[in-house]
Formats: sequence, C-alpha cells, structure tokens
Amino acid sequence: MKKGNGAGLRWGVLLVLAGILLVYPLVERNAFYIHLLVMIFFYIFLGLGWNVVGGFAGQLSLGHTVFYGIGAYTSTLLFINLGVSPWLGMFVGGILATLTSVVIGVPCFRLHGPFFAMSTLALGEVFRILATYWRDLTQGAMGISIPVKFGWRNFIFEEKAVYYYVILAFTVVALGVSYWIHRSRFGSNLVALREDEEAAESLGINVPRNKLWAIMISAFLTALGGTFSAQYVLFIDPDAEFSVGLSLLMAILPILGGVGTVWGPVIGAAVLVPLQEGLRAWLGSSLHGLHLFIYGGLLILVVTFLPRGILEWIQAWGRKAIPSLFPTPLLEKPAVPRSNHFMAWSWLTPKGTGDGTLMEVKDLHKNFGGLAAIRQVSFQIQRGEILGLIGPNGAGKTTLFNVISGFYRPDGGKVIYHGEMISSLHSAYLICRRGMGRTFQLVKPFPSISVLENVMTGAFLRAKAHAAAQEDGLEILELVGLYGIRNTLGKSLTISDRKRLELARALATRPDLLLLDEIMAGLNPKETAEAINLIRKIRDHGITILIIEHVMQAVMSLSDRIVILHHGEKIGEGTPREVAADEKVIKAYLGEEYVLT
Amino acid sequence: MLETILQLAINGLTLGGIYALIAIGLTLIFGVVRIINFAQGEFLMIGMFATFWIFSLLKIDPYIALFIFTPLLFLLGMGTERLIIKPILNAPPIAQIFSTFGLSIVLQNGALMFWKSDYRSLETAYSNAVINWAGLMINVPRLVAFLVAVGIVILLYLFLQKTYLGKAMNAVAQDRDAAQLMGVDINKIYMVAFGVGIGLEGLAGALIMPIYATYPTVGFTFGLIAFVVVVLGGLGNMIGAFLGGLIIGLVESFSGFYISPELNTAIYFLIFVLVLIIRPSGLMGIVGAEEMGLK
Repeated sequence: MKKGNGAGLRWGVLLVLAGILLVYPLVERNAFYIHLLVMIFFYIFLGLGWNVVGGFAGQLSLGHTVFYGIGAYTSTLLFINLGVSPWLGMFVGGILATLTSVVIGVPCFRLHGPFFAMSTLALGEVFRILATYWRDLTQGAMGISIPVKFGWRNFIFEEKAVYYYVILAFTVVALGVSYWIHRSRFGSNLVALREDEEAAESLGINVPRNKLWAIMISAFLTALGGTFSAQYVLFIDPDAEFSVGLSLLMAILPILGGVGTVWGPVIGAAVLVPLQEGLRAWLGSSLHGLHLFIYGGLLILVVTFLPRGILEWIQAWGRKAIPSLFPTPLLEKPAVPRSNHFMAWSWLTPKGTGDGTLMEVKDLHKNFGGLAAIRQVSFQIQRGEILGLIGPNGAGKTTLFNVISGFYRPDGGKVIYHGEMISSLHSAYLICRRGMGRTFQLVKPFPSISVLENVMTGAFLRAKAHAAAQEDGLEILELVGLYGIRNTLGKSLTISDRKRLELARALATRPDLLLLDEIMAGLNPKETAEAINLIRKIRDHGITILIIEHVMQAVMSLSDRIVILHHGEKIGEGTPREVAADEKVIKAYLGEEYVLT
Repeated sequence: MLETILQLAINGLTLGGIYALIAIGLTLIFGVVRIINFAQGEFLMIGMFATFWIFSLLKIDPYIALFIFTPLLFLLGMGTERLIIKPILNAPPIAQIFSTFGLSIVLQNGALMFWKSDYRSLETAYSNAVINWAGLMINVPRLVAFLVAVGIVILLYLFLQKTYLGKAMNAVAQDRDAAQLMGVDINKIYMVAFGVGIGLEGLAGALIMPIYATYPTVGFTFGLIAFVVVVLGGLGNMIGAFLGGLIIGLVESFSGFYISPELNTAIYFLIFVLVLIIRPSGLMGIVGAEEMGLK
C-alpha cells in the first residue's frame, strides 16, 4: 500500500512537470528563455543518444559528431538539392548514420578503453576533413545556408516555440528508448559487457552483436539531433557539424549527470547548458573559450571525484529527504517470502542422478606456442555427478576449463555436451546458452552494479522480462546467502561474497553443468563448509558439477569421482578413495604424507 | 622524377623527425605511467607559445629558449602528474580518458582566452635557410629537429639502460607491482616519467617554432599526429615512435604531392585506425599490451 502511494506521488510529480513543460512556451514571451529550453532539450537528446553506447555499453566514443554530421548533411543536401522534406531526410540521415556506425563499429569494437576512444576521435577528424574537401557535395568550408522558407513541410518555423515542442517530443522518445534499455535484457547485456567482456560472454551474451546494436541505436538518435540542429540554425559547415568540442560535450553531459543511467544526461544538460548559454549571453564573444575552459575543468573534477555523477548525490539526498519520491530499490522483501526457497524454485526441477553421460571430453589438446598445456585428455561426466578436477599448479586445469567453456580453441579432440559437439562452436556465449555455466579463478563480479543486478545479468539469459529476471535473481541470492546484501555494489564485497556472487550469477543462467574454478580458494574454514553445503544443495537439484579445487578436504568429501591432471595429462581417475590410494597420484600431487581420513 | 622522389623522401624524413620528437614524450608516459595523455599536444602548444613570447618580447632565440623551457615543462609535467594524474592512476578507463581530455580542453581554451586564436609565428635568420646538397634542398631548422630527435632517442635509451632511475623506470614499465616489491618508489617514477615526457614537449616546441606557427589548437593537430605515430610504432616503444614518426612524415610528404595536401590528415588517420585494427601492437610491439587488452 505504502509502495502504491510512492508510485502515485512519482507519477504526480512527473505529470506536473510535463504540464509545466507543455504550457511554459505559451506564457513565456522572452525568446531567450525559449531558446535556452530548446538548447537544454537538444543537448539532453544528444546526451541520451551518446549514453546508449558510451554509458550503458561503456564504449567511450569521442567521435559521435560523425553521426551527427551525417544526419545534418544528409537532410540538408536532400532538402536543398532535391527538395526532399527534412522530416523525411532526417530518417534517411538516421539510416545512413546507422549503416556508418556498423562500418565503424565492426573493426573499432575490437579495441578497448582509450584505444576505442582514440580511434573514434580520429574518425571524427577524418569526416571533418572529408566534408571540407568534398566541395562539390558539401560546399566545403563555406558551409551551406538553408533558405528560410517557413512551413511544416520544410521543418522551418518562425516561432521558436514550435522547435521547442519538436525537440521536446524527440527527447521524450529518447527517454523512452533509454528507459526501455535500462529495464530490458538488452540493457542488462550492455552493462555486463561494459563491466567485463569475458564474464559477459560466460553468461551467454553475444558481446560484439550487443555492442553493434548499441552503437546503431546511438548513431540513429544522434543523426536526428544533427538534422534538428541544421533546421534550427539553418546553416551547416564542417567545423560545426564535426567539431571535437561537440563530440566531447555529448560525452560530458551524461558523465556529469550520471553515466549509464536514464536520467544522467537530463541532469547533466540541465546543469551545464544554462551555464553555457548564460555565460555566452553575459560575456558575448569577449572571452572566447571560457565555457569550454569551464567544461574541461568540470570534467576533470567530476571523473576524479564524482565518477558516478550528480545523479548519485541527488538520489542519496532524496532518499533521506523525500523517500516516497526516491524509492530505495527493493527495500522490502519480495512479495512472497518463502522458507526453503530453493526447493520452490520454479525452473529447477530435480533431474535425477546418474542417468547417462552429460558431457564427454575426448582427446582434448591445447598448445600455447610450443608448450602443450593439455595433452590428449579424455573423461566423461555423468548427469547429477560432482566431478573433481585436481592437479598441481600449472597442470592445465584452468586451461581445460577455458577450452571446454569455449574461451580457448582446442588444437585437437572434441567436447560433446548433451550429444552435441560444442568444441566446434568456438564461442563461449553459445556454449553457455546450451546450458553450461562457469566461474572464473580470478573472480570477475561486475564492480559498479549491485549484487542483484549482477545476478540478473545471468538470469536475463532465460528470463524475458525485468520482473522475471529480478525474481530469479532474488531467489538465487537467497539460496547462496547474499540476499541481505543485494543492493551492495559488486566491488565492495569480501572475497568470500565475490565467489558466492560469481556462483550465483552462473547459476542464474540455469545451467545443467556448472564449472567451478577454485571457488573455495582463500575462504576460511567456516566459509569453506558453507560452500561445500551450497554445492551439495545445487547438485541435489540435478545440476551436474565439475569443480577445480585445491582444498583437498573439500574436494575429497564433495566429489563422486576425481580426475587428476599433471603436466597437461590425465594421470588418474576414480573415486576419492581410489585416487587417494593411487601411488602415482600421491607422488605427483598429494605428497607422501597425505592420509585419507 | 628520381630527383622529385628523393626530395620528397628528404622532406618526409625531416618532417618525420619532428613528429617523432613530439611523439616520444607521449610514448614514454604511456610506457611507464600507463596513461594515454590526451593533453600531450597542449603541452607542446605551451612550449611553442612560450618560445614565441620570449622571442618577441626578449629577443631570445628559440635554440636558447629550449634550455629554459625544457626544464620548466619538466617541472610543469611533474606538477600535473601530482595534481591530475595521480588521483586517477587506478581509476576506470572513463576517468583516465576524460581527465586528460578535460585537461587538454582546459589548456586549449586557456590559451584561447589569453592569447586569442591568432596564428603567431616568428622569423629567425635561419627559418628559411636551406642546405643545397647535390640539387636536393634540406631545410636547416627541420634538419636540426631531426638530429635532435635522433639524439633524444639515443640519450633516452642510454638513460633507461644505464642509470638507476632509468632502470627503475624500465622496471615499472614492465611490471609495476614487481618493481614496487623490489623497492622502487613508483610514485616518484611516475612523476619523473611524466615530467620527462612533458619536458620533451617543451624541447620540441622550441625546436619547431622557427618553422611552424602557433595557435591555441596547434596541440590538437600535433597531438593527434603523435597518437598516430605512437600507435604505429607500438605504444611505449621509443624506437617504434621514432620509426613511426619517419613513416608518417614520408606518407605525408608523398601523399601531399601525389594526392592532395588537404587530405594528409585524413590519410594518416585512416592509417592510424587501420593499424589499430589490424596490428594493434604496432610495428615494434607494445609494452604491457596484455594489460591494455591489445593482444
């Protein structure tokens, strides 16, 4: 009931704001304020566009003017030369920009972090130079003036207020797109790949394709912004359309407000644009460069001291001051708190034990340069089994995991899973989708999202909607004992919780087989005992487990069977008792004094 | 025909020496501090303006000014490292990229506010001096810049191989954790490396002032070229930066003659993007490429 009131209040505030925004230009007679609002929404729109690929997907583009310029030039040239209405030209420009984004994205997305940023910065310059050079088409540095012929068809209006309503509508659409991304599987995939590409792949996410979708949506929106600006200013030239300053501004607004959030670009633009326009009006051109000087300084301060943006401040303050307007996510327990949650898992029906082979590894071979990391390793794993994989450091255990889960290509042999040869898929995300989950030896929880969101990135593989993914996530968190800290950020967890979180995230993809890589390393005895119980509980519900472990006591008591690797070769296999008695194994690994208790 | 090609090659090589000179500081900073300094070109701009003003106000020759501004920019670089770089050393990429990018915007527009957007150049007696060598023309200030670039590469090489500080820098470049465990004060190394990298821009700024005009965004133009050079040669690699500089110089010289000088920038940026994509570790490989996700 309390929750309902909060939602009502939020809708009420939103409606009042919308009402004010709709009526305001009708009562405001000062054209400067209308212009200011047009600018604010224009930059909100551009910021939202950048934020799709730069914020949600974390691909820091410094060359978004490529798309912006394509939008502006396409609609303008079509309008001037062929008389095509800019409303139509806008979409042609959008489509052209989208295609360009694919051509740029396919190669450039192989680069990460600063290198991606540098390549987009360079491409922005290439486009500026081309637009200057290709005079026959663009009139070069002279620029193009759009003849002032008022009318809806021409997208040219005498009243600034009309532009205001147009850009307001654009912004509402972009906000809708952002909100959809924020709540959808697609958005969750983007956040996952932003945080860690390898971990994202292990959750069944097709990283390159998701990045491409992100830049395509972003490019389309940005191109629309280019057309709008051309129609508003009625003049375009290469230096303005492909300006580095604009590329930068598109990035600064979301970063200032809160990068990768729906409202971040809105807040960033609402703060920065009045400042910019105010300074411009106040100083005229007398102190050229001052506003950029301030942006730069602001940017340094924000990324250094407030990397999550102003929005976080506002939220933190709002949750204290007006809690009904700023709800803390999932403060209450979910609607149906059940005891023994795990048993009630809707999707996890017990699959029985020991009815046939789940996976067969056959003559698997992997070289690194001249070194054979795995040599002709073969073993099988039965449904419902816990198979331990042990061996001294450097024996090739993790390499074996990486080959099985598709992160490395095998140099020989095959892996057959559910009767299908998965080793020829050469793709980690496809293997995950076929029902294999894994954890990493060096844990990779997504640092800047909450524990629940971490698990939801996995749950989204099977869940269609946000609510379903959230429900799955909460259930799994309860199972692994992280429910109480579901709103904590991934980076602030202890090592034990990180390992549990990683297990939970893999579990959320609903695997039939779970590969656990040293999940107990670094845990204290109590935590180890908990982990053993947890793994048993998971197995009891029909999930087969392949586990690499150095904690001997754990692996001996957990495993039904054990495979031993040494120098990349399998040197033994059997029940814990058999393995412990095997002299070859003892010599290679366990040490002379080990006694099975 | 042959003469044209030789002349173009000479122009390209001397130009390349200048590019190499500008790029060495960038590559040094990347190699040691693991930060891509987007504001590198702006320090060159500062060096150029400083040289311009000291020449026009006090009539101090650029070749003397370099002895003043190299150490001054070294100090400026160390200060910058303390204030701006140190807080973001372990921050996510977004902070590292946008912090130095923000610095570049600040410096660029600070220059715009102080010195306006005019192009400023200075005329020395030797600005247009040429050596005529068997019919081939070699511009003297360019030759000097080229020779200094060669000298700097050799000096830096010796510094990195022979001195304790240099060896420590090398160690930090290869593995900062291990270096720290061996008792290297990595914070000091970062500061010094950043200082040297910026000081080199002071040197480069003074050396190219007789031939180039300066303006607030000159650093952006040269800075992007420096990126191209550094990526081409392999980030963090001194010899690579030198070779990369020569290659870009040659490309510019020939494409300017045979295609169009207007498209020069576009052409080497395309090369840049292609190199990043096809061979991201550059000609000579990258220091710590794996750490940067480039292998």
